[in-house]
Amino acid sequence: MRKVVLLILCLVFVFTGAIGLLAQDKLKAGFIYVGPIGDMGWTHAHDQARKICENTFPWLETVYQESVPEGKVEGVIDRMIRRERCDVVFTTSFGFWEGTIAAAKKYPDKVFAHCSGFMRTPNCATYMADFYQVYYLNGLMAGALTKSNKVGYVGAFPIPEVKRHIDAFTLGVLEVNPRAEVHVRWIEAWFDPAKAKEATNSLIDAGCDVFAFTEDSDTVVQVAAENRLPSFGHYSPMYNSAPDYIVSGQLVHWELFYLDFLAKVYAGYYTSKNLENVDYWGLLKEGAAELGPKFGMPINPKWKSRLGKTNDLVLERLKQMQNPQMIFDPFTGPIYDRNGKMVVGRGERADYGHLLSIEYAVKGVVGAWPGEPK
Amino acid sequence: MEWQLWIIETLRRALAYGTPLLLGTLGEIYTERSGILNLGVEGMMILGAFTGFVTTFVTGNPWIGFLMGALVGGAASLIHAFLSINLRVIQVVSGLALTLFGLGLTGVLGRGWEGQPLKVSLEMFSVPYLKEIPILGPIVFTEQNVLVYIGIGFALLLWIVLFKTSWGITIRSVGEDPATADALGINIPLVRYLCTFIGGVLAGIGGAYLSIIYRPSWTQGMTSGMGWIVIALTIFSLWHPLMAIVGSYIFGSLFYLSFRLQPWVAPELLTIMPYLFTILAPMFLNVHRTLRRRMGAPAALGIPYSREEE
Amino acid sequence: MLRLKIEKRLTPTWKVVFSVTVLSIFLAFFVIGFIFLGYGINPVKAYIEILIETVGNFYGITQILWQSIPLLLCGVGLLLAFKASFWNIGAEGQLLMGSLGATWAALFSGLPDFLLIPMIFILGFAGGAIWGLVSTVLKAKFKVNEVITTLMMNYIAMNIILYLIHGPWKGEEMKGFAYTNSFPQPAWLPTLGMSYIHWPTLIMGLVAVAVIYLIISRTKLGYEVKVIGQSQKAAKYAGISYFQTIFWVMLISGGCAGLAGAGEVAGVHHMLRHPDQISLGYGYTGIIVAWLARGNPIVTILTSLLFGAIYVAGDVMQLSFGLPFQIVNVFTGMILFFLISSDHLMRYKISFRREE
Repeated sequence: MRKVVLLILCLVFVFTGAIGLLAQDKLKAGFIYVGPIGDMGWTHAHDQARKICENTFPWLETVYQESVPEGKVEGVIDRMIRRERCDVVFTTSFGFWEGTIAAAKKYPDKVFAHCSGFMRTPNCATYMADFYQVYYLNGLMAGALTKSNKVGYVGAFPIPEVKRHIDAFTLGVLEVNPRAEVHVRWIEAWFDPAKAKEATNSLIDAGCDVFAFTEDSDTVVQVAAENRLPSFGHYSPMYNSAPDYIVSGQLVHWELFYLDFLAKVYAGYYTSKNLENVDYWGLLKEGAAELGPKFGMPINPKWKSRLGKTNDLVLERLKQMQNPQMIFDPFTGPIYDRNGKMVVGRGERADYGHLLSIEYAVKGVVGAWPGEPK
Repeated sequence: MEWQLWIIETLRRALAYGTPLLLGTLGEIYTERSGILNLGVEGMMILGAFTGFVTTFVTGNPWIGFLMGALVGGAASLIHAFLSINLRVIQVVSGLALTLFGLGLTGVLGRGWEGQPLKVSLEMFSVPYLKEIPILGPIVFTEQNVLVYIGIGFALLLWIVLFKTSWGITIRSVGEDPATADALGINIPLVRYLCTFIGGVLAGIGGAYLSIIYRPSWTQGMTSGMGWIVIALTIFSLWHPLMAIVGSYIFGSLFYLSFRLQPWVAPELLTIMPYLFTILAPMFLNVHRTLRRRMGAPAALGIPYSREEE
Repeated sequence: MLRLKIEKRLTPTWKVVFSVTVLSIFLAFFVIGFIFLGYGINPVKAYIEILIETVGNFYGITQILWQSIPLLLCGVGLLLAFKASFWNIGAEGQLLMGSLGATWAALFSGLPDFLLIPMIFILGFAGGAIWGLVSTVLKAKFKVNEVITTLMMNYIAMNIILYLIHGPWKGEEMKGFAYTNSFPQPAWLPTLGMSYIHWPTLIMGLVAVAVIYLIISRTKLGYEVKVIGQSQKAAKYAGISYFQTIFWVMLISGGCAGLAGAGEVAGVHHMLRHPDQISLGYGYTGIIVAWLARGNPIVTILTSLLFGAIYVAGDVMQLSFGLPFQIVNVFTGMILFFLISSDHLMRYKISFRREE
């Protein structure tokens, strides 16, 4: 009996929510960005997705604010809701979690979604699109291309997200070329072309001849091309920066999440009461990540001949990971960290929690690794 | 042999990274030598970077890019010169305002230009014969860009002008003792205008170097604090153009090494190395007596000059 | 024929200063109007919106107050240093070291709850003061120019914090991201009503203004500061110890910036995070706040509020009109240009006289 009552109550809530929203006819979404939208990385990608949403849904109106400092996010949300009358607010950086959760409690009838976070409330969902599988595919190609057996990687910050990517990349490199090493340099910045440039040069001088990176500009691609060396793009289509030397890269489709989420909010399926367990985690199979130096081009045709049979391996693995069943995942055991400890057991597959909290460096990574478990 | 290779690689990168610092520092040395303190280097550099990029992009000719970068940097410095010399305002605030204004304006105007790589740039080249010289050859004469030589050339030229010619005496006297210089019939505003303009022009070229050669793209805020390093290097070099070479290239070396040495030393320690050096080196230099005498800034630095009040 | 007549004024009256300041802001608005037009925005409508959202409603006013807190503390401390002609460009680093001291107090001191907040401020002050004193010692004992040391110490402070949040202080609650753990609740500064204003820091700021005002106007130290500021040589003849005076000046100046840092971490962030996120250039803006106050500590209250308002106006311009965030810097630069040039005009009385 109680269950039935609860169910009816739920339905009533959903419907009233839906009617309430439909009555307004319009939905307004606010986007809060951590960086400038003009960079070639994270924020740019989110803003592209925002534009796609606005063009897709006639009932949608959006506002955004860029380069919002983490400590000021709550104030920006205030203004978005009070002045701009936003119904949904997206906060697109981990560092915004404190302000987002506080605001979610302050405005219990508004809908929030926080990117790359782990804290949820009834009116605040979380979402993330991740690249580690694509990095693994890039790694396969890098392993095939290196002649010096030294692959260079310029990393932004030594945090689990970046470590996961470097590890996945290294797994790929070693699968094709067990003798290769991945040399890592940290620049302690998400965006700093000068640091990225000198870090790349230091890798070149150390003997590396293929490059991948995490930094929000195309600097690494440019420097590698200046030295006639291949590289992999990051986050945005960087094909135009070096059409002859870029091999592949990672691309993101944030719009998949935003379109789905906003449509469900508009339809009243998601309300400010039922988001406690809504967590989007987008990989290749969801179409949230894409392989390639630009959209629709998984591998630069200029490099196909040099990649030889690795081409097929990459495409096969890509297909396996795009399969709804995800037949393959790079983090499948046995995986050893570089101190020789087994981190993923034989035949096991690292779960979501494991992937989100990776601190170790897998075998094959060379260089400083702040926060490495002993 | 291993260590030789290290020295070569480090100094090669120091030349490439240190050149915009050198250009900016040389300019600021002239500005300050004439008694004007311009904290707007960052702003002038970014204006130079933006105009340099846009002009090169549109015309396809990097040299026109450099010219425009230099002119816009110079024009920006004239704002500071006008405010400091004619209106006699607080130079610290005027300079900071110029920095903010430059960063802001380029950020607003540069929106549409971001993410478009520059197709034309100045090619790297090696100097025949000279590149055969052991050690020096591979550092200076192999695969460098022409601006590196222009930077060093400027340093030598500006050193000769400042210390070996009567123009130099004029500039220095205006910065040290404007009242006496005035009594000798020197046109103080003119000298100060010219020196501030030189500062702006060189900062503009330094900025254009970043967006045309060093990283052929435009991004807002791409000078990332270089203008502030220039301010520190100016003092570090004791307002001497030849010392500016030393300062910029040591800074460049340490910047490069902070990545090269990462496998052996903690990255956080390495990143503070160039900054720590800039503080500590003057301490040791101070032990040297002749250097100590020169340690002081130009006596009239930052003080507006006016005949009636002095 | 009309002729311009310019007479010298000894000290500009407050009425003149006020009206000229308003005029400068108005002029800056006028010039910015063209940028608005370039973006297809009606400037008049934009200004009305900005006015409403900054000083036109209660929320805007609380935001201005909130954002002016760190500027007030940095600015008033810098004012004292500048009075002694000590060019402290390092309030940024001093602020960061203050936030570091405060974080230690909040997370690792193990003090009983009621002592946490006092300790946060004490260690915040100490962190900033120690960072300021390094430059003092280098200047007084080794004659190293303070512009270099204070400027470079900013970068060093940044990297120390980066090291701590990536290494020993990385919080286990943060899933590997580079933040310390959140401060325990008793270490959070109380806020005023529904606003974000962490009032203990605001009070610290006002106390700092009062103390520095008294130091400058009533004490021997204030006298010595003024003498040194005028001429180091004269100070030497008067038997004033340069080191001793500058020691106290930088203790207070660095300490004030440190308090600002303590207020930011304990009142806003409740954790230590990336240094760029803790200080949004407050140390540099503080220089302007101090200079615009023209040597009067009490005026820093007004100048810091002015910059608080500019920050808030910047938020409005971005959110409501979709302008790039750099518009704030254009705006600030413009206002500053007009303000300082009017400074000159204020000292003159301009009138027109008919001449035959």
